[in-house]
Amino acid sequence: MKNKIKVFRAMHDMTQEDLAQAIGVTRQTILAIEKGKYVPSLDLAFKIARHFNVNIEEVFTYEPEVQAVNMD
Amino acid sequence: MKKNTFYLLAGCIALVLLTLFWYSVEINSPLLIEIAFVLGFILVYILRRMVTDLIEDERSRKITEKAALRTFQVFWVIFCAFSIGAVMQILRVPTFPRQHEPMRPPTEIFPPEIMPPKIMGYVQLWLLCLMIFLYVGFRFYYARKYGDWEIDEE
Repeated sequence: MKNKIKVFRAMHDMTQEDLAQAIGVTRQTILAIEKGKYVPSLDLAFKIARHFNVNIEEVFTYEPEVQAVNMD
Repeated sequence: MKKNTFYLLAGCIALVLLTLFWYSVEINSPLLIEIAFVLGFILVYILRRMVTDLIEDERSRKITEKAALRTFQVFWVIFCAFSIGAVMQILRVPTFPRQHEPMRPPTEIFPPEIMPPKIMGYVQLWLLCLMIFLYVGFRFYYARKYGDWEIDEE
């Protein structure tokens, strides 16, 4: 799961702490989501998207894990 | 209440409990520390509810859940393996010599060597301590996995 939280934060001139306080999580959680270490719940993903007044797809992009495929 | 105030108060409660533990050892009264332990943790839970800062969110809850689940998965296997062995020893009944065993004179019959129940209790207590270390280890692992110590460029 990729996300553009950092981009949207920059557009809204927000720090991680500001966003964390606005949606009710810790700053470490925002950092972990941005770095791709933690995939947020649907609830939290919607909260983040709504905070930036955009659709969830604009912030988060689903990318399935690449699996080894036998090409034979 | 601020988060740091809560941690300070929790530390004070832990110190009081430690003092009460040694005092109950001194006066040989286990009931004192048992009641104090329960009351101490009720107090910690009440204080925790009074904290206005954010202590946990869905990520920290996930870390706690995963660590607790893995600890349980490892612990119950070790604990049950030992306990089954201990129960087997307790249930062991001395039998008469079997056909393939030669009859020995009564003076050579020794009672079966079994682990004393007291030692079994101590081993189970050590295993409980191991559970705490397991939990702390798994908690560190999952906290690292879910980005607890990520470096922030801000």
